[in-house]
Amino acid sequence: MTPREIAVLALVAGGAFFAFVAAVGLLRLPDVYTRTHGASKSDTLGAGLALAAVAITFGFDLSSVKAALLVLFMFITNPTAAHAIARAAEDQGIEPWTTDEGDSE
Amino acid sequence: MAGDDLLVPVDDSVTLRKTVAYVAERAADADGRPTLHFVYPVSERIDTSEEGAEATAAVELLDRIEVWVEEDLGEDADSVGVETAVVGQTEYLFNPGDYADVLADYARRHGVETVVLDPEYNPLGMAPLLPPLEGELEAAGLTVELAPVERPTRRSPLTRTAGLGQFVVLFCSTYAFYLLVSGTLSTFDLATGAITAGVVSALLWRITTRGEVELSKLGGRLARFALYVPFLLWEIVKANLDIAYVVLHPRLPIDPRVVEFDAAVWSALPATTLANSITLTPGTLTVDVTQRHFTVHSLTAGARDDLLDGALERAVRFVFYGRRAARIASPAERGARTDDETEGENE
Repeated sequence: MTPREIAVLALVAGGAFFAFVAAVGLLRLPDVYTRTHGASKSDTLGAGLALAAVAITFGFDLSSVKAALLVLFMFITNPTAAHAIARAAEDQGIEPWTTDEGDSE
Repeated sequence: MAGDDLLVPVDDSVTLRKTVAYVAERAADADGRPTLHFVYPVSERIDTSEEGAEATAAVELLDRIEVWVEEDLGEDADSVGVETAVVGQTEYLFNPGDYADVLADYARRHGVETVVLDPEYNPLGMAPLLPPLEGELEAAGLTVELAPVERPTRRSPLTRTAGLGQFVVLFCSTYAFYLLVSGTLSTFDLATGAITAGVVSALLWRITTRGEVELSKLGGRLARFALYVPFLLWEIVKANLDIAYVVLHPRLPIDPRVVEFDAAVWSALPATTLANSITLTPGTLTVDVTQRHFTVHSLTAGARDDLLDGALERAVRFVFYGRRAARIASPAERGARTDDETEGENE
């Protein structure tokens, strides 16, 4: 394996791992806010790593530039969408889940 | 004279007072004894068993309006009838059509032909209600007028004065992007790109670009921004690993809290950058930003501490204001607090 192949493999594996974490987070976390954490952030990094792998595979090519642009746009739009969801949830008056929910309060 | 009766849908808006003043004056000037109908369409369905919070607010608002009208009319009070009503309790109001139905129904029952709309009337929140509502009401056979009151300028206008320079900048960047993505310089792409870029810039040149750009400052900012990106990426990766650990941990050791603090950034772009960076860094999620006041939801205690240590905020200040600004105290030192502490004080 060439160094480039190793790098691509590592990036794809990392991307798949964080996409997996995003999915698990979505299932396990308790409420809309925490799920937004899981779904938006790990996903951004996962997709970012996968796209980085794409860019390296193509080398210095137009496709790499496009992949880099995609990463850039994802890094701008994903937090914006997460913010929109969280804010909508807050506007609807959804109380964030906390650990002291079951306590004697 | 029924023709002078006016129907005014009301909601708590910034121009409500002026709208009330306008219709009161207009009714006082009219012949006969016109009646002013102030109606409050409630959006949530209210069950008979319990009074919703919105209904209470509606009744309070309508009472206030009655006082205002009396105040405005002074001696003419006898020549104008005032009626108030809360409508739409029995159904959910979702879209402009629903509001129009409720209002048209009320108008029919009371023989009102003219509706005066408060220019800021917007009970639906974000989506603009007024233009479609006007259309629906007119379709129902009512005369619709906007109250000619001055709106306070709460936000800067969307369009700004822009010169040819802005148009050229936008056109060139759009064109370049189009050609970059198409990847060829064929005649077809050159032509379609020029048309696309032309349409986009013609529509948006007064919106997307703003004012004069100080090139000297911009260069420094871009350079510092280039330093900021690797730092941000590193933070993202580091924090992502933390989150991966938490999410995959069998006991799911999370401790979500809402944190509020006033960020030490002073204009729109830095605040946006900071808000987006906070959201990008796993474990923290910007819920709302009002001016400088950030409401952030944090997933773990670690993420919260990182946030309040202010490394990100400091970095954003470094990008936009240079090195000296980076040395302001962190949010924790400035007295930011989490929800539980606030609750503790209230108890």
